[in-house]
Amino acid sequence: MPVLRKGRRDRDRVFRLALVAPSIAVLLLVGVFPLVYLIVVSFQNLTMSDTDTSFQGLLNYRLLLADARLWQSLLHTLVFIAVALPIELVLGLAMAQLFIERIPGRAVFVALLVLPVLVSPIVAGATWSLMFDNRFGPINQILGWFAGHPVSLLWTIRSELVYPAILVAEVWQWTPFMFLLLLAALAAVDRSQLEAAAIDGASWWRTFRQIVLPAIWPVMAVAILIRALDLFRLFDVVWALTKGGPGTMTETVSMFAYVRGFQQFETSYVAAVSLLIIVLLSTIVLWTLKRVELAR
Amino acid sequence: MVQASHGRMAAAFRRALLPALAIVSMAFSGTALAQSAAQRAADAAKKICAGKTITIVWEAGLQSLDPLNFSGPKWEQLTGCKVKVVEVPTAEMFTKIMQEYRAGTGAYDALNVIPAWMPDLVQAGALENLESYVDKYGYRAELKTIAPTYRDNQMTVNGKIYGFPDDGDVFLFYYRKDLFARPDLQKAFKAKFNYDLAPPKTWKQFDDIGSFLTEALKAEGIYGGSFFREPPYTMFMFQERFRVEGGKFFDAGTMKATVNSAVGVKVLTEMRNENRFMPPGVEKFGFVENLAVFLDGKSAMTISWPPYGRFAAGYLSEEKALAWVPKSKIAGKVGYALPPGGHPELAAGFALSVASTSKQKEAAYLFIQWLNSEEISLQRVQLPYALRDPFRDSHYTDKDYMAKWPDAKEYLAALGEGAKTGLLDLSLIQTDKYEEAIRQGISKLWAGEDPKKILDEVAKQWDEITQRVGLDKQKAVYNAWAAKGGAYPK
Amino acid sequence: MKRSVRRRLMVALRTAAALLLTILFLFPIYWLFMISFKTAEEIFAFPPKWWPSRIGFDTYAVLFKDGDAATVANSLVIAGASTLIAMFLGTLAAYSLARYRTGGEHLANWIISQRMVPPIAVVFPIFLLYVFFGWVDTHVGLILLYTAFNLPYVIWMMRGYILDIPRALEEAALVDGLTPWQVLWQVVLPMSRAGLFATAIFTFVFAWNEFIFALVLTRTEVTTYTVQVTHYFGGQSNFWAKISAMSVLGTLPIFIVVGFMQKYLVRGISMGAVKG
Repeated sequence: MPVLRKGRRDRDRVFRLALVAPSIAVLLLVGVFPLVYLIVVSFQNLTMSDTDTSFQGLLNYRLLLADARLWQSLLHTLVFIAVALPIELVLGLAMAQLFIERIPGRAVFVALLVLPVLVSPIVAGATWSLMFDNRFGPINQILGWFAGHPVSLLWTIRSELVYPAILVAEVWQWTPFMFLLLLAALAAVDRSQLEAAAIDGASWWRTFRQIVLPAIWPVMAVAILIRALDLFRLFDVVWALTKGGPGTMTETVSMFAYVRGFQQFETSYVAAVSLLIIVLLSTIVLWTLKRVELAR
Repeated sequence: MVQASHGRMAAAFRRALLPALAIVSMAFSGTALAQSAAQRAADAAKKICAGKTITIVWEAGLQSLDPLNFSGPKWEQLTGCKVKVVEVPTAEMFTKIMQEYRAGTGAYDALNVIPAWMPDLVQAGALENLESYVDKYGYRAELKTIAPTYRDNQMTVNGKIYGFPDDGDVFLFYYRKDLFARPDLQKAFKAKFNYDLAPPKTWKQFDDIGSFLTEALKAEGIYGGSFFREPPYTMFMFQERFRVEGGKFFDAGTMKATVNSAVGVKVLTEMRNENRFMPPGVEKFGFVENLAVFLDGKSAMTISWPPYGRFAAGYLSEEKALAWVPKSKIAGKVGYALPPGGHPELAAGFALSVASTSKQKEAAYLFIQWLNSEEISLQRVQLPYALRDPFRDSHYTDKDYMAKWPDAKEYLAALGEGAKTGLLDLSLIQTDKYEEAIRQGISKLWAGEDPKKILDEVAKQWDEITQRVGLDKQKAVYNAWAAKGGAYPK
Repeated sequence: MKRSVRRRLMVALRTAAALLLTILFLFPIYWLFMISFKTAEEIFAFPPKWWPSRIGFDTYAVLFKDGDAATVANSLVIAGASTLIAMFLGTLAAYSLARYRTGGEHLANWIISQRMVPPIAVVFPIFLLYVFFGWVDTHVGLILLYTAFNLPYVIWMMRGYILDIPRALEEAALVDGLTPWQVLWQVVLPMSRAGLFATAIFTFVFAWNEFIFALVLTRTEVTTYTVQVTHYFGGQSNFWAKISAMSVLGTLPIFIVVGFMQKYLVRGISMGAVKG
């Protein structure tokens, strides 16, 4: 920062506060009441039939600790994140590398490749469900061509196939997100540095690791963070393909909350669960952010 | 002399007066009796809601075309009351109704509710007790003429009226009577199984016929049967089959779940075995997939709601709203019967109710009385695009309906039979949780798990739910449900 | 000679790879879009039909006639407005966080923590809040909500992109006598154009595809296209042709916008490209 006189520093202070103030105001307006509501309600016992708002202590928290299904859904969610995120990242980065240099029709390709993200997740889920269908979908048909005999895989029914099916649909839809973000980040990499490295005869991998990666890291880190948080809320695709089945094998934590909160109206219990999730996520994310240096 | 004649005249007058009064009073009450419930509702509504708008929640999509294109405009024409239709996807109907209720918005006046939800909604206080309105507007008589199973099972909670059954949902058995009538098939079947090829009366017969036909018609690509095996639909089929085979959901005394009895295991095992002679991938069939296969002529037997019968007959298939229905290749070839066991599930269904937080309860009530009345409901169940099925005694014998397609008479007769012997959906406090356990069990069944293990898990979950709800509370509700005529087959 | 042949081979290979990727990613889109032209029998044909027998626009006509297509307009207004507002407010805030480290880590972390709140959990309290303010079933309500929803994303993404820009240019501009505000507008924003567009696209997408809040916070007046599509999934019906046609109508506008905007993205890319 250039050295400034006090007057200038004061003006700067007003300036930088004025820049964030409106955003903070909007976030507070919509964010404060729900959070307070969740906290208050989690200590009550609001259910479908009960609107008793008396203080119930840690009832819901005790219940959720003992709720195996909740913790399993958390596990399932983590599995989805752990598998989908790296694939989306690597694939997206590879695609960005592919397109960073000019090829004929690049503009068209890039525009087309964004399409999967633009389709409503609900419709995407329904479409993949139809595509995976044994009788009316092309996936089994195509597999049959490669295999040489009719293939009848029950993608959304069999335990060993449901996770791959969901992951295919999910990766399909969100890799373009990583792709576009990383493409924009790659665009900002300093040309002169790259050219210098090329002249020095550095290998592709070394150039990537020492020049490109540090340069795109701020954006890549945020993209990973955002994608991880969104994957945590995974719902539509899984719901459309398996509804959490077989049994509760593919139930994510959002689906768990949806059924209990939305359909069965266990308002207080879901409030406690939500607070647990918020605390868990915040802890993990903040811990990660501390370790990982974002700004140079 | 004059006095005497006065007296004679007075006496004559008196003699004439009583009969005259009688005739006049009879004329008046005769008019009142002759006026239909629909008319009464319309007249009353004209006075109280002309120019105002009432809001009704309806299932989104095809169902909503009824109030949007027919009943809504007609009501406005008759009474000046406007109708706003809030379309809500089926899966979210319960949620939106409860949320608006809990938030006290008063945004909804009249509601469509699935009868199995009624105990929960009444417990929560979301539905208005309709008893006083029914008396005020003289609707008891026409309520009585709703087909017995719906009337006795889908109208009341704790003995009080909270909704008018408005949709004759029932699982009917549809079969290819042309295939059943083929002499070569009949001969081969009789030779193998020693009884005549006919709509199965038991599930064993269904299995026999199904596997036989799949084998015999392999060259033509036709399967003996197919069902919508997706968990939400199979959940209903399980409820029906389980009870038809003698199963009981709970022990009435201890309220322990007995769904994992030998009967339950038998039902699940048989269901899984049946898939073998059904189209591969049947485990994933939903309503439309199964319909497509049936209308394409590729399955000889199936079970589903009444619309299948109309769609198969090609009834008004040119209707734009029905463009999603594949063209029927089997018109005129479909027979109708009760499912094996003779007690079809009255799966889902709809009832018309009034929201307790409505600010126009009377106007909302009048609208639903009118909708549900003999006169109007008859028109509504014949709408080409509607999914409302016949539910009144008069619907099953309506001459116009019977003339709609060659086999319509048999169709209505079968529906009428079903309405007499039908089985009610399980309806408790937090019904959805119990149903959810079955749905998950079904998905595990298709994934290959062992039926006994599955049902033990279901029973365990059921017992947990009962504990959470309150054993005594739930026991009372269950026993009240079990006492209904349609709860268990006689 | 050899080098230029090798270069052309590389370009050809890359183009082939790009083509293959595009086909793979677009296949499901193709399948979905084709349904809008298929008849009911074709949708449920066995074996599956890969193309419709004729291209007919009847379903589209019905959607326009019935007013379903108007929900796409609702979505456009809501997503568009909330994106503009979120991008504007968010980029300003991002600059403050990036260059001035306003609020330090605490503010930045608080901002991103807003995205850690599961929507299912807060949908009902927000519904209550909106009932209180009278914002249920209004455009304003959803615009406000989606703006708040996306601000954390915009702020964090733009902070990342801005951090990428070397400070030297800004410092030079300050020395030249520009006010901080002018530096922001005339130096920083143009330089982060690629990032701006990438962020804006997805901000729009997040608002566009949002379902849960749109479902609960609207009744009849402001139905968005995501909610409208779910009306075609019934328990006893499944209007696939409409689902597909609505998806086409709902995807095409953004696709066109993206098509225009990514021209800036590509230009940004060219500026950073290695070899021509």
